[in-house]
Amino acid sequence: MLTNLLPTLTATPLFAVGLTLAAYLVGSALFMRLSKPSWLPAILIAALLLAAILALLGVPYATYQQGATWLTVLLGPATVALGMPLYQQLPRIRELWRPLAACLPIAASLAACYALGIAWLLGAGPDILASIAAKSVTAPIAIGITEQLGGSVALLMGSLLVTGVLTIPFVSLAARVLRINDERIIGFALGLNGHAIGTVRAFDISPTAGAFASLGMSLTGIFTALLLPLAWRLVGLAG
Amino acid sequence: MPALNGLLWLISYWLIGEVVIHFSGLPISSGVVGMLLLCATLAMIGRVPSSLAAAAQPLIALLAMLIMPGVVGVFFILDELAGQWLAIVASLLLGTLLSVFTTLWLLKRLMGRSHAD
Repeated sequence: MLTNLLPTLTATPLFAVGLTLAAYLVGSALFMRLSKPSWLPAILIAALLLAAILALLGVPYATYQQGATWLTVLLGPATVALGMPLYQQLPRIRELWRPLAACLPIAASLAACYALGIAWLLGAGPDILASIAAKSVTAPIAIGITEQLGGSVALLMGSLLVTGVLTIPFVSLAARVLRINDERIIGFALGLNGHAIGTVRAFDISPTAGAFASLGMSLTGIFTALLLPLAWRLVGLAG
Repeated sequence: MPALNGLLWLISYWLIGEVVIHFSGLPISSGVVGMLLLCATLAMIGRVPSSLAAAAQPLIALLAMLIMPGVVGVFFILDELAGQWLAIVASLLLGTLLSVFTTLWLLKRLMGRSHAD
């Protein structure tokens, strides 16, 4: 009976969709219950829960992933939707366009280069480098970049999770060391380095920090999407 | 159904992005093209239509959930990554720490200067 049940359930995408929704909701609830720890974001709790459930039920990842396509297809329109906050922040961008425009290319390039350099020094292969290059870019854009570079999307997503989670304590540490209180700077740094995960955290700090985080996230995404694949081809890493 | 109306906007812009990439061969994702086109369109209209906001806001709020199916994949390729672990973890950890410091330091310097202007 039980052995027949699982194939029946996984035959419909609703099983994967339901599991994902449940893990996300339970993860968010636990996160609130733990009074929003900055070192353990809701998405990390949810991802660990989901992985544990899949492992316990013995559902192969490929089967789950196939069903979850019903959710992930929405990443396309969700990326387009980021055009809305971008438009809403245009006045703020104009106000600060000079420092932001000077900082963004350097900071966004370094976000990729530091990690690539360290991984290369430690002997990581080209497939690993291609998978972690977009680690600071918001997921829907990063997936497109990684596919173009020929990296592994699964490893990219793991790198996104690790990078986003680490960015939060690192930004508060760096802000303390550098004596920075400006919420605009802190927000921008959270979005630029920590993509969606950092942006969610910035909205916890204040709406201004959140607005600058979405700005940093969008601009890093656009800049990296435009330049990283070209740079990759120039360096000759692409096959 | 304003949200449905807005969703059609978003999907249409994503599809336009696909068309643009198909003909231009640009190495970026159709989502990025759609996002830029949407931003440009809104700047021309001068406001955000409520139907668009009704679809865009919940979708942006759900970004974290939409990436979860992909994120979970990393737990299932742990075996394949054996031996590369140190390089990956060290590069993400140190790389993020360095780039966070650089970003904040740069912005502090640059914004300080623009205030002085």
